[in-house]
Amino acid sequence: MKKIYIIAIIMVGVAIAMLTSAADDMSTYATFADAEQSGERVKIAGQLSKDKEMHYDPEVDPNYFSFYIKDAEGDERKVVLLSEKPEDFELSEQIVLTGSMKGDEFVATDMLMKCPSKYKEEEVYIKSEAG
Amino acid sequence: MQDIQYVGEHLIPGHIGQMAIMLGFSTALLSTIAYFFATQRREQPAEAANWLRIGRFSFLIHGISVFTLIGTMFYVMINQYYEYQYVQAHVSEDLPMKYIFSAFWEGQEGSFLLWMFWHIVLGGVLMATGRRWEAPTLSLLSSVQVFLGSMILGIYIGFGDDPMRLGSNPMMLLRDMVDAPIFQSADYVSQITGTGLNPLLQNYWMTIHPPTLFLGFASTTIPFAYAIAALWTNDHKAWLKPALRWSLFSGAILGIGILMGGAWAYEALSFGGYWAWDPVENMSLVPWLFLIAGIHTNLIANATGHSIRSTHVFYALTFIFILYSTFLTRSGVLGDTSVHAFTEMGLETQLILLIGFYIVLSAALIGKRYSSIPAPQKEEATASREFWMFIGSLVLLFSGLIISASTSLPVYNKIMTYFNPDYIGRVITDPVPHYNKYQIWIAVFISLLSGVSQYLRFREPNFSKQLKKFSIHTVAALGIAALLTYLTTLWIAMNAWQYTVMLFFGWFTIVANVDYLFTVAKARLKMAGSAVSHVGFGMMIIGILASGLNQEVISNNTFVMEGLIEGATEDQLRKNVILFKDSPLIMGDYEVTYVSDTVSQFSRTFKVNYKRRDASGDVVEEFNLYPNILYDKSFTKVAASNPSTKRYLDRDIFTHIASLPRVEIDMEYRKNREDSLNYKVYEALIGETIAFQDTVPIRDQDTFFVKRFRAELVSIDRDPSHPDYAKEEGDLPIGATIRIQRLDEDSVFIVQPVLVLRGQMLYSYPVQVNDISSKVRLSEGIFDAIFGREVNMEYQPFTFKEGDQITYNGHTIQFAGFNKNPEHEAYEPQEEDIAVSAMISVQGQDGNSYMAQPLYLIRGSRPLNLKDEISELGLHFRFTGINPQEETVEVMIGQAETGGEHPIPFEVATDSLRADYIVLEAIEFPGINLFWLGSTMMMIGLFMSMLVRMQQRRQVA
Repeated sequence: MKKIYIIAIIMVGVAIAMLTSAADDMSTYATFADAEQSGERVKIAGQLSKDKEMHYDPEVDPNYFSFYIKDAEGDERKVVLLSEKPEDFELSEQIVLTGSMKGDEFVATDMLMKCPSKYKEEEVYIKSEAG
Repeated sequence: MQDIQYVGEHLIPGHIGQMAIMLGFSTALLSTIAYFFATQRREQPAEAANWLRIGRFSFLIHGISVFTLIGTMFYVMINQYYEYQYVQAHVSEDLPMKYIFSAFWEGQEGSFLLWMFWHIVLGGVLMATGRRWEAPTLSLLSSVQVFLGSMILGIYIGFGDDPMRLGSNPMMLLRDMVDAPIFQSADYVSQITGTGLNPLLQNYWMTIHPPTLFLGFASTTIPFAYAIAALWTNDHKAWLKPALRWSLFSGAILGIGILMGGAWAYEALSFGGYWAWDPVENMSLVPWLFLIAGIHTNLIANATGHSIRSTHVFYALTFIFILYSTFLTRSGVLGDTSVHAFTEMGLETQLILLIGFYIVLSAALIGKRYSSIPAPQKEEATASREFWMFIGSLVLLFSGLIISASTSLPVYNKIMTYFNPDYIGRVITDPVPHYNKYQIWIAVFISLLSGVSQYLRFREPNFSKQLKKFSIHTVAALGIAALLTYLTTLWIAMNAWQYTVMLFFGWFTIVANVDYLFTVAKARLKMAGSAVSHVGFGMMIIGILASGLNQEVISNNTFVMEGLIEGATEDQLRKNVILFKDSPLIMGDYEVTYVSDTVSQFSRTFKVNYKRRDASGDVVEEFNLYPNILYDKSFTKVAASNPSTKRYLDRDIFTHIASLPRVEIDMEYRKNREDSLNYKVYEALIGETIAFQDTVPIRDQDTFFVKRFRAELVSIDRDPSHPDYAKEEGDLPIGATIRIQRLDEDSVFIVQPVLVLRGQMLYSYPVQVNDISSKVRLSEGIFDAIFGREVNMEYQPFTFKEGDQITYNGHTIQFAGFNKNPEHEAYEPQEEDIAVSAMISVQGQDGNSYMAQPLYLIRGSRPLNLKDEISELGLHFRFTGINPQEETVEVMIGQAETGGEHPIPFEVATDSLRADYIVLEAIEFPGINLFWLGSTMMMIGLFMSMLVRMQQRRQVA
């Protein structure tokens, strides 16, 4: 057999081993209940509860921003993000958080927001003086 | 619905554009077919030549059409014809002209056109230089143009309520795309305005990064076209040289394009790094990795005849992964896994067809010709360069495939959900450590191979002769690398053995390639390209380790990235610090102070001062950084935050505004906040001191806190200044100087609030005193207090000769003469003014002497006068005329009630918290320049190799 084939087989072997181990890096989108049960770092996708309080007071702690989201099952919990309050946060439609439960709160270290597209068809900007 | 005759629309460019789109699409199709037959009929030269002419002609028309379309789009964008949807979506009145290009390729249609533009340019070069490869390569290139052209067709295919739309047309009218009530009015054009370019993209990187990246994308088509052409015409040797020249060019340009993206993220966006393993970044890196693998197998094929098949596969993979990357970023499938915002435009089916077509085409051709592709019978020698280079290419392929596998997880999820709607999609919890932990080993292997193979020779006939030389060089290089690794660890800490291994091999490839450059290549330019690239690769590895591992968030004094492969802990992620104005804070080695800020239009720039002191407290180094933020048009939010970086040779200090007090972000909130302050009105005569107190509820407690204050009204100023007040003509400003103090504290604060009457509007400029949490402003009543008693004042006219003296209300008033160079606080001299003031000396009833200088002015043949007053006596003077014959002047004198009798009202709110702070993030990146230098060297090496090969071609020809 050619040496190249041997090496190729080794690489495929390594690839399989990697993919198996990579499964540990992956998770499904969890709910708060899952996060509470496992206690591990998970990703949670949810919707911002716009009626609940959002708190960011940099004078007290510039790395503490709290708000409430509803997860996929409608469970609403308080979330603490260890960072500043991002711009346009109120507009976000969906939020993906990475973190873990600490008591009743979900402590997140990373957040991705999905904001409404600016290409929304119904939006037509009207000059203010023309109104 | 009745037809509306719209007014103000510019429809002609739209018609030209539509025609150009159609013509461009059909000529691309014609060019594909003509060049196809020019290739197929190559055995009949006469017929082939005819087809070739048609192919050339139609490609030319195609080029003209696309250029016309681009030109038309620029025309409507520059003229802001908002009736066009693309203009409305990407341009606005306040968009500076320098961003017009950015606005053009911000949208999907524009970026497809940019891609097509480069294909046409490259196609032109290919037409001129391709010789016998012209027909097959341009046939393939034109076919790609057909697919790309279909993305902007915007025609509907099929019947019924839901016909399939083919492409998205950039010349569509807004009213044809959007159904809104505004289109009921015939003059809607004059009522709409543009959305404009996302402020985050208003940046010079947005001007240079996309064209470079798309030139990179477009250039990968050429090696692929050569590979297909070779399979098609069954000519398996001659294509290798031109393909290699093109792929070296493509590798360099695509690499530079990717690096520019990293530089943009690092320098102008607040991502705090140059690479984040974001899906969009990954999927531009993967084709580059495959291309580099292809360049290496192409080199092997040129030198030995091995690996021709792999070269085909790699070039095909490169192009297909460029298409796949386009699909991922433009189809919306990545969803919430990427920070890059992309919108679905219904092009998914077309994109999948495009990818599918080229996969089938290349697979079928490679399969058909596989056995006829020549390959040497003899296997590569284990100790030959080609063998290890090929292994290296496999490692690159492997790297690209595992990156793609992880990045494609959302695609996999989507497919699974298609078959099983209950399938729950999987995500990578922490992407950065996930990718790093595999790619570290790729980097180690590549470093090792790119070092060792330089000591080996192509087609090694007898390695035993070389063994001694090989061993000496390899062992020496390993030794030197070990020493350098040790020295490096003194500078940057390696937190895990994996990093040390990576560092060691990074150094090894540097040492081995420098050695190769001087001992084997003898510093000949001809052979230097690969050494330069590989040294660059080694330096890049060290730069990644240095800046990644020892990246220190100095705004928190912790190492944030201790675990590149394990993830950071929560405390390490607390990156922000609050910095009050003029209150220095120690961060890392620096004393950091927020000094000031300036607003200009929508941007606000902060001056942050860094000082480093030695042990004795003397400042040894000082610099300022200027991070800034960009407000949106309504001043209610921050649209973009631009970092500022101090660059040293060995490290960078990166500073960025993470947040601001809400009153500084949202001007509406600021106004409401100002209105909600508990202002109380106090009155004082000039020179009088008053005392007052205020009770403040203590937060969360049922008690009150009594604060006692003392305030003295020092003076009133008719020409006041305030940091926020810019004087305009016709303003009536009043300022007051007030000394204010809290009784339980020693410090006395002097404040100068200002109130301005401009037309019918009152503008208040309060002053905040942070130390006593108070804000002072002037009451509206101040105008009555000061001017009210002047309103009813009656002036009496007097005529004076120089030296004349009169008595008025007990004061002795004398006209002492003219002042030809008059100064008056309300007078700003203009050219051609004739201005003179009357010097009036007054002996007051109180026994004091005063001087007034009312001013007489002729400006533009119009006589004007500016009054002067002696406020202590309440005397007002107007200089109203000069009689040159009689040598007399006319002065009006009025007596107001004397000042001091009317108290001046002002207001103090003692519940105004300070808002002069910034939330700052500051990161130190050591050794980041090694990353930039190394990665740039890689690209320079590719260019050098390309130039050398172009020269060789000329020598042959």
